[in-house]
Amino acid sequence: MVQLEATARRLRATGRVADDGDEIRFCSTCAFGAVCLERGVDKLALHELHCLVEHVGPYRPGDAVFRSGRPFDAIFAVRKGTVKTRALDLEGRELVLGFHLPGELIGLDAIHPEEYPCDAVALDTVEVCRFSFPALSTLAARLPGVQQELFRRLSKGIGGNALLVGDYSADERLAAFLVSLGQRYADLGFPVGSLHLAMSRGDIANYLRLAAETVSRVLRRFQDQGLLRVDGRDVAILRPADLFAIARPILKR
Amino acid sequence: MNAVPSASGFDRDLVARYDIDAPRYTSYPTAPHFRTSFGEADLLRAIRASNGDPIPRDLSVYVHVPFCLSPCFYCGCARIVTRDHGKAASYLTRLYREMELIAPRFDRDRPLAQLHFGGGTPNFLDAGAMVELIESIGRHFPFSRDEGREFGIELDPRGCSEDYARQVAAAGINRVSLGVQDFDPAVQTAINRVQGIEETAAVMTGARRGGVRSINIDLIYGLPKQTPDSFARTLEQVIALRPDRVAAYGYAHLPERFPAQKQIDKYDLPDASTRLTLLQQTVEMLTAAGYVHIGVDHFALPEDDLSRALAAGTLHRNFQGYSTHAQCDLIGLGMSAISHIGDTFSQNAKDLVGYYAALDGARLPVVRGLRLEADDHIHADAIQQIMCAGVLDVAAFESRHAIDFARYFRSTLSRLEPLADDGLVTCSPARIEVTPRGRFLLRIIARCFDAYAANPDIRYSRAM
Repeated sequence: MVQLEATARRLRATGRVADDGDEIRFCSTCAFGAVCLERGVDKLALHELHCLVEHVGPYRPGDAVFRSGRPFDAIFAVRKGTVKTRALDLEGRELVLGFHLPGELIGLDAIHPEEYPCDAVALDTVEVCRFSFPALSTLAARLPGVQQELFRRLSKGIGGNALLVGDYSADERLAAFLVSLGQRYADLGFPVGSLHLAMSRGDIANYLRLAAETVSRVLRRFQDQGLLRVDGRDVAILRPADLFAIARPILKR
Repeated sequence: MNAVPSASGFDRDLVARYDIDAPRYTSYPTAPHFRTSFGEADLLRAIRASNGDPIPRDLSVYVHVPFCLSPCFYCGCARIVTRDHGKAASYLTRLYREMELIAPRFDRDRPLAQLHFGGGTPNFLDAGAMVELIESIGRHFPFSRDEGREFGIELDPRGCSEDYARQVAAAGINRVSLGVQDFDPAVQTAINRVQGIEETAAVMTGARRGGVRSINIDLIYGLPKQTPDSFARTLEQVIALRPDRVAAYGYAHLPERFPAQKQIDKYDLPDASTRLTLLQQTVEMLTAAGYVHIGVDHFALPEDDLSRALAAGTLHRNFQGYSTHAQCDLIGLGMSAISHIGDTFSQNAKDLVGYYAALDGARLPVVRGLRLEADDHIHADAIQQIMCAGVLDVAAFESRHAIDFARYFRSTLSRLEPLADDGLVTCSPARIEVTPRGRFLLRIIARCFDAYAANPDIRYSRAM
């Protein structure tokens, strides 16, 4: 009879879907909904522009949304669940590149090479929104807001791996990871300070370039210090200011 | 619930009225609900997921040694009666193989916080083989260095020596449970288990000299030929030995389910009224001697870890009964052993043939199990609250599970009504609380929260 609380919260957390859209309305987390509506383009108008916004899924844990090397034809927005992007080296060793929550875009880094440079793998039950890229380009040409939003997201993605560059301690890396993940969860409307880790500690460790054991040891120490509480896959941040202070060297560069 | 020992809660009429079937709730759902569709792949998936937690749970290992030298007639355990010690060697071969298959699946930074040897008769293995087994477990699963670790073994004082107990203690065992059942010669003959007080005392001495923290003695009331006078003597003798814990189980006569029990003449069994007297005097004598009633069948001295956990509200329930450890992933090794990894339960083959065949084919011997559903978690939590804390705080429960308690447990609450009328529980919108009288009938109260209890196909032993 272990992990009861965690499971209950997990069920609630993963039950939250950004799929409140329908034939006419955009999902509330849609990357492009706001900028389209700004210019009076609703979903019906998009259909008329042959810009199909296609809902795909559900994917089960371990399923690939796209695989490395496949020709680039679309970008995806996560609607539900968490997606991991990763590259495999020649020996098949995995390098975790990032984790993507509902409302976030994946596949942007495929625009230039014209093929997907990485795998995108579902970590839990995942649903995505598929934007055909030729159609999106056409749309961007007609709606400057869409173009700007694309550029904004592209540059944000480039800065996203700051956690990994530089000689930072395990404490700093993990604190920065939790603070930024917490921020993204809060942006999604989750209660501030509570986050669900859909990724395994192995994935977190790989992403932060640490040993899995180190991730747990640091988390246990943070927990003993009263900074946070870990319950199964759920983390409650109890003293956000103190956690931020540890993360500051990375986050405030 | 108050940890102060008190016999005042015992009410004969009441306990007699509720002398009906109920599971022991060492797990929820209980083992009869495991399904054969759950197999090795599901278990391995559960292990992988458990390794992925940000702070993976500590580990607990249960090792089943199924052999016994002679059949005790009351026994309902999974066991094999043999005098052939060669069987131990073939069994150990498979046990080592099983460990070798499953241990590498667990990340190395997960310490072993609990270890338990049960049976059958663990000391069917000679001291050398047992010490070797404990050391091998330590190589496969790094021992926790926390002094609160619980490493226990069930010992049959017959065929055990002071030296045996000292050797296993030196290898790391810090808890010993001794089967006694009854010291009266007539009862011992009727159950085919003759053992003296001296050999029991010798094992206790060896264990204590070896540094064992806590010694338990198992008793059974309701056995053939037992009388209130004879059992009072047994209780006096046990109290004089001063074990840290006493477990007093009610004998359940189910010969159609446990064939060994056919050897027991049902006309030798105490009648329902005598059974009650036996239970009542057990409770009264143990509490008068300073033991705390932990819950259901368990008693402990006030300074024992279990009593402290009860007072601190940190008591937990697992397959060994009550425990001070939560949050371990349990790995069951050996024939019929049950594992509890993450939100799954699974059980090994219940016969040697199946157990050996799987391992000889390099497969884990899991034959059935289940993954807990969201509703199972909610019911399991409620049962844990009742069995361990004796109280369920409605607001905290609602926030843990995001449910409307009164609506979710509507049928439970109506099942609790007659129990509340009998003074076993008090139910208010804010809390469900077990009364001192209700502590003798925890299983009956817990059953009200059991969504599977309506299934009439499953039979359990009587609740008292």
